[in-house]
Amino acid sequence: MPKLIRGRVPTPERSVEERVRDFNEVNLGYTFELALKEAERCLQCPKEYAPCIKGCPVQIDIPGFIRALRVNKENPRKAVKEALGIIRANNALPAITGRVCPQEEQCEGVCVVGKVGDPINIGKLERFVADYAREHGIEDELLMEVVPNIRGNGKKVAVVGAGPAGLTCAAELAKMGYEVTIFEALHEPGGVLTYGIPEFRLPKEIVKKELEKVKKLGVKIETNVLVGKTITFEELREEFDAIFIGTGAGTPRIYPWPGVNLNGIYSANEFLTRINLMKAYKFPEYDTPIKVGRRVAVIGGGNTAMDAARSALRPGAEVWVLYRRTRKEMTAREEEIKHAEEEGVKFMFLVSPKRFIGDENGNLKAIELEKMELGEPDETGRRKPVPTGETFIAEFDTAIIAIGQTPNRTFLETVPNLKVDEKGRIVVDDNLMTSIPGVFAGGDAIRGEATVILAMGDGKKAAKTIHKYLSS
Amino acid sequence: MYKILEKREIAMRNTWYKIHAPHVAKKVQAGQFVIVRAFENGERIPLTPVMWDRDEGWIVLIVFTRGKTTMRMAMEMKEGDYLPDVVGPLGNPAPMERFGKVLAIGAYTGIVEVYPIARAWQKIGNDVTTLHVTFEPMIILKDHLERAVSRHIVEPVPLDPNLDLKENMRNVTKRLTEKVREMLEKEDYDLVFMVGPVGDQKAVFGIVKEFGIPMRVDLHPIMVDGSGMCGACRVTVGGQIKFACVDGPEFDAYQVDWDELIHRVGFYADMERKAMELYMAGLMSRGVV
Ligand SMILES: Cc1cc2nc3c(=O)[nH]c(=O)nc-3n(C[C@H](O)[C@H](O)[C@H](O)COP(=O)(O)OP(=O)(O)OC[C@H]3O[C@@H](n4cnc5c(N)ncnc54)[C@H](O)[C@@H]3O)c2cc1C
Ligand SMILES: Cc1cc2nc3c(=O)[nH]c(=O)nc-3n(C[C@H](O)[C@H](O)[C@H](O)COP(=O)(O)OP(=O)(O)OC[C@H]3O[C@@H](n4cnc5c(N)ncnc54)[C@H](O)[C@@H]3O)c2cc1C
Ligand code: SF4
Ligand code: FES
Repeated sequence: MPKLIRGRVPTPERSVEERVRDFNEVNLGYTFELALKEAERCLQCPKEYAPCIKGCPVQIDIPGFIRALRVNKENPRKAVKEALGIIRANNALPAITGRVCPQEEQCEGVCVVGKVGDPINIGKLERFVADYAREHGIEDELLMEVVPNIRGNGKKVAVVGAGPAGLTCAAELAKMGYEVTIFEALHEPGGVLTYGIPEFRLPKEIVKKELEKVKKLGVKIETNVLVGKTITFEELREEFDAIFIGTGAGTPRIYPWPGVNLNGIYSANEFLTRINLMKAYKFPEYDTPIKVGRRVAVIGGGNTAMDAARSALRPGAEVWVLYRRTRKEMTAREEEIKHAEEEGVKFMFLVSPKRFIGDENGNLKAIELEKMELGEPDETGRRKPVPTGETFIAEFDTAIIAIGQTPNRTFLETVPNLKVDEKGRIVVDDNLMTSIPGVFAGGDAIRGEATVILAMGDGKKAAKTIHKYLSS
Repeated sequence: MYKILEKREIAMRNTWYKIHAPHVAKKVQAGQFVIVRAFENGERIPLTPVMWDRDEGWIVLIVFTRGKTTMRMAMEMKEGDYLPDVVGPLGNPAPMERFGKVLAIGAYTGIVEVYPIARAWQKIGNDVTTLHVTFEPMIILKDHLERAVSRHIVEPVPLDPNLDLKENMRNVTKRLTEKVREMLEKEDYDLVFMVGPVGDQKAVFGIVKEFGIPMRVDLHPIMVDGSGMCGACRVTVGGQIKFACVDGPEFDAYQVDWDELIHRVGFYADMERKAMELYMAGLMSRGVV
């Protein structure tokens, strides 16, 4: 029995002063030595009991991959290769999930060590394994072991949307021998990973690397294709034996507050797309402009709000997150809230916009905010914000609305017999099959806003059930 | 990658691009648009397929040189080059109904969007009159329209070198509104349709409203993705927030919040000006212009 070490081995981070003015990654990740030290803290709970496995939405054998690092400590390459193999059995994109999963609510949230000290830093260990493997050619080695064994089975599957759900589903099906084509509306694949999550949290090089891997498995990715417009659903039905829909939840919710269309008010999606996909932070080297004023209000409390706030901070604005509940109810990952606080994002809790006030040129000048208080818990278990009627005015010249997204509707509107619920989410059965036989769906398109790991889990599960469906 | 099969300047500041884009050509209908990214570090800009051939797989775009992107396209793109991205067709097709007698107006390069719609309306049995008001050296598609509709009227406005651009443009607005009033007084139309700068659309709407004639407009808010994802293109129509790329681009002129839209299309004006100035300075320092 190893001695319990309560404190975590910290991962190096770039200093606040350095990072707040650029878009490079904030957290630098473990070295092998540091990873090993952290791995040594794991109690190696028996697999059938290990709470971390149960806490993981895709049930990665966490003690298993940590053990692989420890038992091979003399040989980092072997250690990482084994660990990666174990992770990969359940998760195809560890470099991404290691960076963006809300670990504190999942595996780390239930880790036994967490009861008496800091839980094992599972996310950062996962990230380490993936990064080391990528940087040392181990990934490619594993891939090259898979690719020659793929035997085409003559069946074709179409995947709509190149986000984590679609990419995972496509990769899994390709490995089983299906001929898979992904259709993506934007000019770059990746979904939110590409257009939403900023570089300082998820470097685009890593997303690109993952995409290359999917392509090496033989998956075709056709960008600039908006399914429903460029190709119709009927055409897909004719050409393919099965279809997976991974169109995500990309429609921004815009509450019709008075003045919400004033200049200077962005949806988080527009703001982040301009920055991440179009590289507006490099204007005029890149042609796409973006305007970040002096005082920016970000409305919301999720990951999207944190990403928008920290992106707005980097060009030098004073940024306030306005949230209608308190810090405790925020849905953003703890690490992102912490990074935002460190970097100087300010928070105003228990407030909600009542109206946006413009100047004579139609530009945002101020926001009238209403004070809220917490009432009874709602269906999410979080205490509900209740308006108090008391309002005040705060000056802002830019606002970013990050109050949520609903499923993308362009495609759905062109498939009238596809069953969706009252929130626009595609209805699926236990096999992730929609109301149309042979048509499957997963990710945010069926869940509303969820997480990368759940989207990937769906993609993987759908690949299995599609295989079952097409082989029976 | 989408090959430029043909490129030529067809009038002052108006360039014709014939582009190989079979996926768009196969599906596009009058009223729809595409989003083009012309350079690897470029912006995504919406443009309208003016003509297309479904079998040969090409579309024609006619682009008005306005700011940096369209200027770069005019200066840097050659026949045989490739556009990195053309996505579409986007937006809803124009409604194909028997309206009766239609007046379809295009101001400046707005006429390129009028052309496919007016032509299709005429084909299904409408009696279409098209009106093109622009500066004299910028007249385009005259022959095409004359062949396509019942009557095509061109109202050229001389470009007065002694006046600045704003004043010259005021002359176009003046000519446009006078002509529309004159036409509506003379004849009864069942529908007016218009494409052009939003200020001119609003001015024409002001007149059409006096006559109480139904009016429809294609709106041009700033867009990014064109698929309903970013919300940049939101406009207030009938008191509700609509996304022009997925709910439009065509809307009922009576329902549009014109002043809001005018503000919104001007949001980046200062940055656009700066980008253009830097670009031109670059061209000059390299002796290109
Ligand atoms: C700013 C932001 C930050 C986030 N941060 C985190 C985080 O830290 N951790 C976490 O776990 N989750 C996070 N999320 C949520 C997470 O990104 C999503 O749950 C996940 O991306 C969903 O994956 P998906 O594959 O279902 O959809 P998406 O990633 O949304 O991908 C859908 C893709 O489909 C394409 N598409 C849509 N319609 C069509 C069509 N008709 N034809 C062709 N293509 C189409 C879209 O262009 C897009 O590329 C964040 C979300 C946002 C917006
Ligand atoms: C549905 C639609 C169809 C269009 N069809 C045509 C066409 O067939 N031919 C044509 O010449 N023009 C068309 N336009 C206008 C064209 O998109 C703009 O002229 C172009 O974006 C200008 O880019 P720029 O960089 O040269 O100018 P900039 O200097 O960047 O901008 C000048 C002005 O162009 C408009 N604009 C800029 N960027 C965008 C954008 N991303 N989306 C929308 N408007 C923008 C704004 O009003 C801006 O003030 C269309 C616009 C829309 C919305
Ligand atoms: S719960 Fe914590 S200590 Fe137990 S196996 Fe998982 S990571 Fe290790
Ligand atoms: S252009 Fe992005 S939603 Fe319309």
